Order: sequence, then C-alpha cells, then structure tokens
Amino acid sequence: MKVTVNDVEVDLAPGTSAIDAVFAAGYDVPYFCSQEYMSPIGACRMCLAKVGAPRKDREGNWIMDEETGERKIFAFPALLATCTTALMEGMVIDTLSEDVKHAQNGMIEFTLINHPLDCPVCDKGGACELQDRSYEYGSGRSRFEFMKRHQEKHHPLSDLITLDRERCIHCKRCVRYFEEVPGDEVLDFIERGGHTYIGTIEDGLPSNFSGNITDICPVGALLDATSRFRGRNWEYDHTPTTSLDDASGSATVVDARTGRIERIKAGLHPEVNKSWIDDGMRFGHEYVGDPDRITRPLLRKDGELVAVSWEEASAFVAERLAEFSGKDVGIAIRADATLEEGVAALALAEHVGTGQVDHAPRYGPSVVPGSPATLQDLAVADAIFVVGDVTEEVPAVDLRIKDALKGVAPPPLLPHGVPIADLRLKERMPRRTEILAVAAPYRVDLMRYAGTTAIYPVGGEAALLKGLAALAEAKDDDGPAAAAGQSGATAADRSALGMDVHTAQAFVDRLRKAKKAVIVVGGFVLADQAAADAAQRLATLVGARTMVLGPMANSHGLELLQVVPSHARYDYPSMVDGGAKALVLSNLDPAADPAVAERLGALRLLVVHEMFMTATARLAHVVLPAKSVYEKDGTTVNLEGRFLPVRAAPVDAGEAVDLTGLVRELGLALGQRLEARSVRSARRAMRKTLGIDLAELTDLGEFVKVPRRRKGVTVAARPPSAGRALRVPTMVRQEYLARNPHLLAALGGPALRLHPDDAAARGLHAGDEVSVRVDGVPRRLRVEPTRAVPPGVVTVPALPDAPAGPATVDLDGVVVERRRLEVA
Amino acid sequence: MSVLDIAKGMGVTLGHLFKKPVTVQYPEQRAQVAARFRGRHHLLRHPDTGLEKCIGCSLCAAACPAYAIYVEAAENDPANPVSAGERYASIYEINMLRCIFCGFCEEACPTGAVVLGHEFELADFRYQDFVYGKEDMIVGVVGGRWQRREAAAKGADVRVGLEAPHRAELEGVDH
Repeated sequence: MKVTVNDVEVDLAPGTSAIDAVFAAGYDVPYFCSQEYMSPIGACRMCLAKVGAPRKDREGNWIMDEETGERKIFAFPALLATCTTALMEGMVIDTLSEDVKHAQNGMIEFTLINHPLDCPVCDKGGACELQDRSYEYGSGRSRFEFMKRHQEKHHPLSDLITLDRERCIHCKRCVRYFEEVPGDEVLDFIERGGHTYIGTIEDGLPSNFSGNITDICPVGALLDATSRFRGRNWEYDHTPTTSLDDASGSATVVDARTGRIERIKAGLHPEVNKSWIDDGMRFGHEYVGDPDRITRPLLRKDGELVAVSWEEASAFVAERLAEFSGKDVGIAIRADATLEEGVAALALAEHVGTGQVDHAPRYGPSVVPGSPATLQDLAVADAIFVVGDVTEEVPAVDLRIKDALKGVAPPPLLPHGVPIADLRLKERMPRRTEILAVAAPYRVDLMRYAGTTAIYPVGGEAALLKGLAALAEAKDDDGPAAAAGQSGATAADRSALGMDVHTAQAFVDRLRKAKKAVIVVGGFVLADQAAADAAQRLATLVGARTMVLGPMANSHGLELLQVVPSHARYDYPSMVDGGAKALVLSNLDPAADPAVAERLGALRLLVVHEMFMTATARLAHVVLPAKSVYEKDGTTVNLEGRFLPVRAAPVDAGEAVDLTGLVRELGLALGQRLEARSVRSARRAMRKTLGIDLAELTDLGEFVKVPRRRKGVTVAARPPSAGRALRVPTMVRQEYLARNPHLLAALGGPALRLHPDDAAARGLHAGDEVSVRVDGVPRRLRVEPTRAVPPGVVTVPALPDAPAGPATVDLDGVVVERRRLEVA
Repeated sequence: MSVLDIAKGMGVTLGHLFKKPVTVQYPEQRAQVAARFRGRHHLLRHPDTGLEKCIGCSLCAAACPAYAIYVEAAENDPANPVSAGERYASIYEINMLRCIFCGFCEEACPTGAVVLGHEFELADFRYQDFVYGKEDMIVGVVGGRWQRREAAAKGADVRVGLEAPHRAELEGVDH
C-alpha cells in the first residue's frame, strides 16, 4: 500500500497505522499515548497530522484532478490522530505544515497546563518524553495564568511504585497495560475531565508485572520506588544485558551509578520478552549492594575466617587440592552460571581429574526437548497445555501465553522497529481462553485465563500426563466415553486428571487438531522422570512442540555444555552427601540442611565461592568472593535454546570474581595457564569443542546448533518424597529476598501457603511468622492461608538447593515465632 | 633614540614615584575583589525558613565542564526536612582542584542554591582536603578548609584576606 509522507513515498502493508508510516518514512511525530505492543487509542492528541486520500466515484474510478491529471487528494476536514488512522491506498500525510505545527504547539501547551514544572526533582527528568517533546514541538510559552491543579505528590501505589498524581498527563498507558498485557485490571481512571486521576480500589497493585508501568509512563508520574532519588537519568551507566533471574533470557537494562546498581529496566527483545519483565526481575537487585557482601577472600586460621589476599587464598586451595586423589574432589555450580563459567568448572574438574562435577538445581530429565517450542511459537499457538506454575517459574512465558490468547500474532518489524501503533490490538480484547489448559497441584494465577483447568494431587504429574496420553491414543471416532473405557478410566482417573474425562478428552482433541500446539512443562514435571517421559509421549502423540522450563537461567546451556557428572552417583546431592572428600561449591548452600551441614563440617577441604556468609560459607575452609549475576560477562542459553549475551554492569564488587576468575587465580598459584582462565579463554575453548564463537553474539542472540554429546547421565535414584507438601517456584529469588528491602516489604516474606481450614485447625493466622522444617531443613516463613491451595496441601518457596517438587513439611512441628500484630 | 625620548621615559617613571602605590600588602592588607568575582562556592539557605535551597537535582554536576561536582540525593523526612520539597542533597561535593570557577553550576542551578562567592584562599596540603563537602560550603562557613583548621588550632576567628561589595545572589553571605 503506497502512501506519501511529506515528500517520501513508502510502501507498507495494509492495516499499518499512519503514525508508523510517518516513522517508516524517516519523519518524526510526537506522541505520548501510543506504546509498542499495546492498543492505540488516540488519547493524547499529539500525533496530529494533515491527512488526505484519493476517492473513487460511483463507478469505482479514481476521481482525478483536472489540472494535474493525477488522482485528486481530498483532505480530511480536521487534523487526524495518526496513531488510530489506518493507511489507505494513496494516502498523503503531512506532518510539517504550519497547521500541524500550530496544533502541536497548542497540544503541548494544553498538556503542560496542569503538569508541574518540578523537573529538577523528578526521577524521570532527562529521560522524559514530555520534556523532550515540549522542547522539540512546544512553543516554549504558556498563556495559562491560573493555579495549576494540585494533587498528591507522593502516593505509594504499592511498596514498589510511587505515583505523583500532579504529573500524570492521562495518556492511559498504565491503565491499558494492566488490562492488555498481564490481564490484571488493577488500575483505572477515577473522576473526569481535569479532575481525572489514576488509582486503584485495592490495596497496592496485585500484579506480578506491575513494574513495567514505570518504564512506559511518558512522564514522571509512575516511578520505581527502589531507585527513588538515587540518581539522574544521564548519570546512570546503562548496561543492556540478559537477565539471569529466570530461564526466559529476558532483555534488561541495568542502570548503575558510582559502582552501585540503582535500578533495572526492561530491555526490548521482540522475540523473547518484548518490552516487559516481571517484578522479581525488576526489583530484586538490591541485594547486590548489601553491606554484608563478601568482597575479599576469607581463609580459616585458628578456626576463624579472616580476610586474606587472593594470592594466599588461592595458594592454600591449590596446595590442599593437590593432597586429594582427583576423583575425591567434587565441583558444583549454580545453574544460573554463564556458559563461560560452565567451561571453567569443567576445566577445573579436568585439572583436578574428577568426574564429580555438576550444576544445581538439576532434575533428572533433560531440559532440552526433542521438538522445542520458541516463545514466538507460544505466542501464535492455537492450543497450549501447561503443567505447573509458569507465572512464577518463567514469568515471560505467562505473558507470551496471554499473547496467544488474543489471537494477534507478533507484529512484523518495520524499518523503525516494532510498530508504535498496532491497529489489530484493541482495548478489552476477547481472549480465546478455550485454547489454554492449565494443570497444577494448586490454583495458579494463569488459570484465570484457562478454558480448561485441572488441579491434580501433589506428585500426580505422571498419572495426569499418562492419563492424557491414553486419551490421545484413543481413536478419534471412538468418542470420549469409549476412550475413557479403553484406557480404563474410573473415578480414580478423574482425580488423577484433576478434571472430568470428557473435558480432558475435549482438550486432548483440541491439542491433536491444533496445527501449532505447544505443551509447557515446568519443575513439577521435571521432578519426576516418569512424568517427563509421559509429557514427551503426549507431545509426540498430539504432534505438539514442547517447552521445558529449566529450574534456573542457564539450565539449558549447562546441559548442552555437559556440566554433568561422569556417573549418576556423582551428582550434586550425592557429592554433598559424603560422595566427595573435598568440595568446591559456587553459590550453593547445601548446609542449610543441618544433616548436610554436619557432613560438610567433617570435610577436609570445603571451598565456597559465595556472595554472602551462608550456612555453607560459615563451614568453609576458604570463602572466595563471588560476582553477582549482574557483574558477569558471558553467555546464557534460554529455555528456547537461544544463546544470549550477558554483560557486566559497572558495579563495585571488591575483589569478587566469577568462576573463570577463580580458575585464573588458581592457575596463578599453580604457575600454570589453565584453560578457561578468562571469559575470552573460555570462549576459545568453546570454539574448539563446540564450534561456536560467542564473542560475536548480538543483543538479540541467536540459535546455535550444538552437537549433542549427551552422556546419558541423570541423577542418582532417590526415594520420591511422599509428602503432601510442595516446594513451589517463585519469581523472586528466595535466597536473596531478605536482602531486598523493597521487595521484602511488598511480599511480606517467604510464604507458607495452606488452605484456610488447615490454618484454622492449627491455629495459624495470616501473617504469622513460623519456623517449620521442610524436608528436615528449618525455614522461617510467613503464614498465608489461601483457597488457591487445596485442603491438606502446603506450599513453601523453592530454593536453588531445594528446587520445585513434592516435599515433606512437618506441620506438627510448626513453631510460631511471631504472631501477626492484631489491629485493635 | 634622542635624549628627549629618554627624558620622556624617565619622566613617566618620575611621575609614578609621586603617585599612590597600587600594591596591596596582602595578607596584612585585605584584597579588594569585584562583586562578580568568582571564588569558592556557597550553598545557600532560604533566609526565612532556614531550609537548604539545594534540592539535589545534580544539574550543576551536569553543567560542570570539569566534572568537579558530585551529588547524591535523598528523600526529605517530612517531619524534619533538610530542604523545601521532597528531595535534598545528602552528599554535595566539589573538587576545588578540578573546579575552573566558570560559574556554570550557578547558572544551571534552578533554585539559586549554589553561588560562587568571593573567597579564593583555598590552598591546602593534601589532595583529599580539596574535596569540599556540604559542611565546607554551607552558608555561614567562613574561609577555606586550611584557614578554618588554622583558626581552630589558634582558637581565633577565621580571617579572610579580602573585601568585596555585596552581591544580591549571595544571600546570607557577608564579608
């Protein structure tokens, strides 16, 4: 469709908005209310342009201009908001004429009537769309001589977001965002006209994705409370990177100032997280600047850990490691380590000569599916089956599922990037909930949008998936009853499926008929090999692609890299269970379990690479300071298998190093040039063994074909937990929650969730702080009675050392540490 | 060159012998500086409320061509505010060795909080002593760091070796 913008002719697809045509032609037009990936509504009236189009007469012929002999352009009677105008063939858009300038001046003046001029104290100052647009398109004067509107300057919308009601220009981006993107309608306009303000009737912003409104607010009305007054926008060092907080590989921008991380904003990755991130990822960074952080190596001397130089610490480690026969040494890293760190762990293992090398948390089943689905596949899927709690596990997946429900495929990129106004998107779009089925052992957030929901018994993933696979195997023409009969479905099956057989059959049929079906499985399925096999079988039977949510950011990559033991009995739990005589642990805290702590205390060498004084670090002979996930350079592989760059933000971390740095220091002590002694060296090694060069990776990353060298190692067989409790994934990092003051205040602490009746039976009240043993590990949790959890089930947050899955919670041994304060 | 020219020259010299000398016997005698002289910075307060004028906006630091200014802001406690409004400077530092006394900070300041005063006696011995904080620049503080150290050691008042006409922008500063 050919249109003319000023003097440039562009050819764009029908349905494109006029504002995108203007940008595609290389011109600029101011706007405040349009936003990528959201519906255009024409609220701010800034993108006005003079628009005209040719017309046809009754015979269907173009009306021609008699003078020029070309199609006559009929101007629309008034200036149009280009964001809500669809292109027409031969349309002529004028953004430069005096009429348009006059309108732009007027709109800026009008918008500024009630906007306070407190830019010097505004956290948005310097990155403010209104500031920029007023400078570019305003006349620089105001005829408004009256008092400006005065409203609340500092309204805490939640513990994480501050609202300044005076600054709001009513663009409605935040209101639309909540309805359209996460589907949580928690914010709306109240009152009318000049009195309009945004507000919420509930307490806080009960959404998992509330932080994104601080990114999209065009003015300083909605601000991130963690970075309030921390610095001005031009003072921050912006580091575009990939988040290591979950397996999605979401793009983020880490803003640091004078060696401190001050805030995290969402980055743009059109194929992964678009421009949205969850609150755990955004606000969970404060622990990095915690004053308790270990910044120097610590060595045990006379029973006390004392700060020493790296030379002394590494010489000690090198000397003591040499005393062991190689195979007695265990090396374990946390599964959010970068690929380069994985190479370093392998190099260290090779140097020592041990097969006891592992990453944790790691489940037995592979996280690299045979027919993997990408996040784009998910967004265009026509049937989605989810087992688990994706919203907490990998929140980006939750949002991409909600994209699929709208039935609008991700927009194609235009010359200027993502379309500013995608006219296919509307406010309050109907959601195709029938294409989504969600199964979980308790009620999960995504079930609000699922046409089919199933709550199955704890640990019942295998039974559920086998039951569905049996239904899928039945022939189409048999009908559900026959299929049920064939698979021997009984009342017992109904409870295993968590739904009635007909519903299950209907959804299985939908999966089978769907051309682009996706099955998403999370940690609950991975915790059980039989369930993972059944999921694979179901996917094969219905011809669906599979998305496996790895337990941590780089689980996929570390499996590709084969940071796994040479034998199942050498896996991480066996290592800490007495399998190794010397241990090198990176960012893991097995000693939280008193039984393990006792064994670790008896070890002849325990080297702990950590950020904080954990229970394990307190037992260590040497504690080496570790870099946080924001301070590393490297590469991660997200759940799709996409290789993404991780870049180090300029953060003052003392003498902390990542694993490659640890290998370097050890090599210096040994007088050897070990492999993987730096990120570059690790990449050289990967180029040799895997045939990939990661130095060239762009921000958007790429899929790299890695030759599969699966050793076939799983994990050592352990008796399955018979508990009725569950360790559940959470979007916030539980291991650091106590050091994130804002997030802690918002969440109230790690939650022990149980049914209100169960809580009442045990005399527990909402908000009580209790000590309880989870699989023998003492945890301090906050009681949260909720009907989302079925009677008899208890959920506690998972930790890296205790990943999601069934567990035993000793509810009889609950000790109430602190009662919730009763309000008189 | 004629004898006449030499005589002319000597005449000029002779004439000056009988003029009032311009030499200032500094430091015994105070130096006279112009009203718009740009010396050490002062951080001013609102004279009526006593609150600091500085709101910690960092625009002075942004304007500074020598990168001599560092500001960290914090939120006011409404019950006990430091400045008017929500925000104040918790750290305000100027490196006097870097500063080129151009006065851009004063021009950039939206509240008239930082104003270049007349004091120029800033000599000191160690690098770190040239980084002036709020306590060195807040209105009421007289003299450079070394001058104040000396005065404290001697138990005397700080004596600044200058005199200047009053300047309206330097609200509350007097010499």
